[in-house]
Amino acid sequence: MKKTCIAMLLAGGQGSRLYALTQQAAKPSVPFGGKYRIIDFPLSNCANSGIDTVGVLTQYRPLQLNSYIGNGQPWDLDVAEGGVYILPPYLGANEQGSWFTGTANAIFQNMAFIEHYNPENVLILSGDHIYKMNYAEMLREHIEKDAACTISVLTVSMEEATRFGIMNVGDNGYVNEFEEKPKHPKSNLASMGVYIFNWPKLRQYLIEDDADPNSSKDFGKNIIPKMLAAGEKLWPYRFQGYWRDVGTITSLWDANMDMLSTTLINLYDPDWPIASRSPICPPHYTGPDAEIVHSIVTEGCEIDGHVENSVLSPNVIVEKGARVLYSVLMPGAVVKEGATVKYAIIGENTVIGNEAVVGSAPYEGEGWGVATCGPDLTIRPGAQVPANAMIYTSEEV
Amino acid sequence: MLDFHGIIFAYRAAPALGELVSRRTAASLPFCGRYRLINFPLSSLMNAGIRDVGVIMQRDYQSLLDHLGSGKPWDMSRKDRGLRILPPFGLPEYHKGNYAGTMEALIAVSAYIRDIPQKHVVLMLGDLCANIDLQPILEQHLRSGAEITAICSDHTPWGARHRFVVGEDGFVKEALYDVKGGEGLASLEGYVIEKETLLRLMDYCNARNFYRFHRDGLGYFLAEGGKMDVAVHPGYAEMINSVENYYRASRDMLDSAKRHELFPAERPVRTKTNEGVSTYYGEHAVSRNSLVADNCIIEGEVENCIVFSGVRIKKGAKLKNSIIFRSCIIGENAQLDCVIADKDCSFAPGTDLRGSESLPIVIGKGKQI
Repeated sequence: MKKTCIAMLLAGGQGSRLYALTQQAAKPSVPFGGKYRIIDFPLSNCANSGIDTVGVLTQYRPLQLNSYIGNGQPWDLDVAEGGVYILPPYLGANEQGSWFTGTANAIFQNMAFIEHYNPENVLILSGDHIYKMNYAEMLREHIEKDAACTISVLTVSMEEATRFGIMNVGDNGYVNEFEEKPKHPKSNLASMGVYIFNWPKLRQYLIEDDADPNSSKDFGKNIIPKMLAAGEKLWPYRFQGYWRDVGTITSLWDANMDMLSTTLINLYDPDWPIASRSPICPPHYTGPDAEIVHSIVTEGCEIDGHVENSVLSPNVIVEKGARVLYSVLMPGAVVKEGATVKYAIIGENTVIGNEAVVGSAPYEGEGWGVATCGPDLTIRPGAQVPANAMIYTSEEV
Repeated sequence: MLDFHGIIFAYRAAPALGELVSRRTAASLPFCGRYRLINFPLSSLMNAGIRDVGVIMQRDYQSLLDHLGSGKPWDMSRKDRGLRILPPFGLPEYHKGNYAGTMEALIAVSAYIRDIPQKHVVLMLGDLCANIDLQPILEQHLRSGAEITAICSDHTPWGARHRFVVGEDGFVKEALYDVKGGEGLASLEGYVIEKETLLRLMDYCNARNFYRFHRDGLGYFLAEGGKMDVAVHPGYAEMINSVENYYRASRDMLDSAKRHELFPAERPVRTKTNEGVSTYYGEHAVSRNSLVADNCIIEGEVENCIVFSGVRIKKGAKLKNSIIFRSCIIGENAQLDCVIADKDCSFAPGTDLRGSESLPIVIGKGKQI
């Protein structure tokens, strides 16, 4: 059966601006919002939008991501005709294979996968955005507008526009110009890095672009401008709602804090569930001395300390007398008796020793920033980790 | 291939469980915030590597069927065999009552049992609250040369009925039926038994219209001089056969030591998952000595409670010593003490309901108070 649309999810990014958090794992598999990993959002959006075939392009430290996605069952993507596929870079016979050199190159190298399903359209997604979006709506507009490419855009302020790829739109509503991070933006429609392409057209542009030695093989920098230059119809799909890029420590922390507000993004909506692979632990236990205020807590946690304005992942332990404020605790993190964690991100299975203090509040001094401890660390009892610190797994603190 | 096959008895619903089993059997009774009692035997079998399992049910099994599905959470959705649901198919037309005993339940599915390709069968109760480590028990069974190995407890669980007295040779010398305590070890009514032996006991009982596994089946086996070994399960084990026992076992889970005995990291208890969201605690929420599942929004206070997924506790509501099943809504300023609320119940703002620890109030499924 021919598919109307399949998705290709770019999950190969190293996420170098997350430093210690992506030392051992690719960005899309970074824990997020309590029960999730970042990749749960695009995967769930696909499943909820009726897109049942997803190629996940990996290259940087794919182990965690592979084992997390598995057969796609948590997202209902374990279907007979389609499903979720991990697509790593590979070497062909008698030819030199290579790492993906750009977003467009990643798709180019996996053309065989797309050809196998021979879809009418291909949805290109990135694995580092937090949002709920009905791709079926976007696909409907794409088909209705007879576009070669539909680009999902977000309305941002003119100041913010300088940080994004900006779409300028003509009188007919179609895109007539694309500017990457313009100094003087002419419009405030920012690309979200979500594209639907007509597959035969995209195929042709990918082949041409691959032959161009001057191209950096990127959708935003090369493919979109080439399509515009050739007079193809590019339609801007105006997305409304919550959308965040979580590529930096600050934006990751901010977006986690956003999860505490259902008015920003409602994860309790049964009509658009964000699914995840559950570790299946007992419900969380709150001890006789637990105090939990304006926070989210999940399965396997044992809380007997004070937790405020924080996001806790599965199996986190906060001992008696410990304080966790404005922080993100990833799976298995332990905050020992009397320790304080504030304005911080604590990586998976990291232990914060008794009476240690990690991070500080913005009003407590100059040079504030979120303190980050990588995964599998042990912070010694009584240790002090200042604001803005970045502690790697190999370090001793 | 592992030479063991699992059978779970999931048809029972002790009358003393009252309203809790009005539409389900005890095996599908929700427990500890996210589980069903049958998750314990299923996980025990799974953790021992057993993937071919028959679940005997008789009536009121809709809830159990929904929960088990194809058996995927327990790796029992297999190409060949795997999890099989066993409604009665060997009973005569005129048989309308409940199974009068375990032996009758086995005889009702005798065609299935004759078809089992493995040499040994592991019989387990669907309503026993225990995380039994079967691995060493199966090894002991193979080593001892006994035809039957009885799984016993190191203490006397509530609702335990039968006991085994072990002789000097290490095998059972005497079985005591329907006793509350005394000599010997309390049976957890779990048995590792050779398939041929099981069939022999079934045939014997069937011919005589005997229906009780212990008194009739094992009694005959021991009288014939059969060798029965005993394996002791050292951890938490209680039988859930009354509201009182259900309430006590639930409250036991608030004790960390007992909870970790039932949910050890090395032998996880698997269940069907459906909740995808964390639980949110509001500005004025209080949660003390409680177990709270995911997908809840807690704005009121809970103390000594077990809260299942999808529950909403509104501002000012105070819950004490209560067990709240899935998707209940507790209105503003409602006060509940010693209440067991079945799923989808809603409590209007200001409701005041107090049971006692010895007699908790049970609110049936979907009730609006």
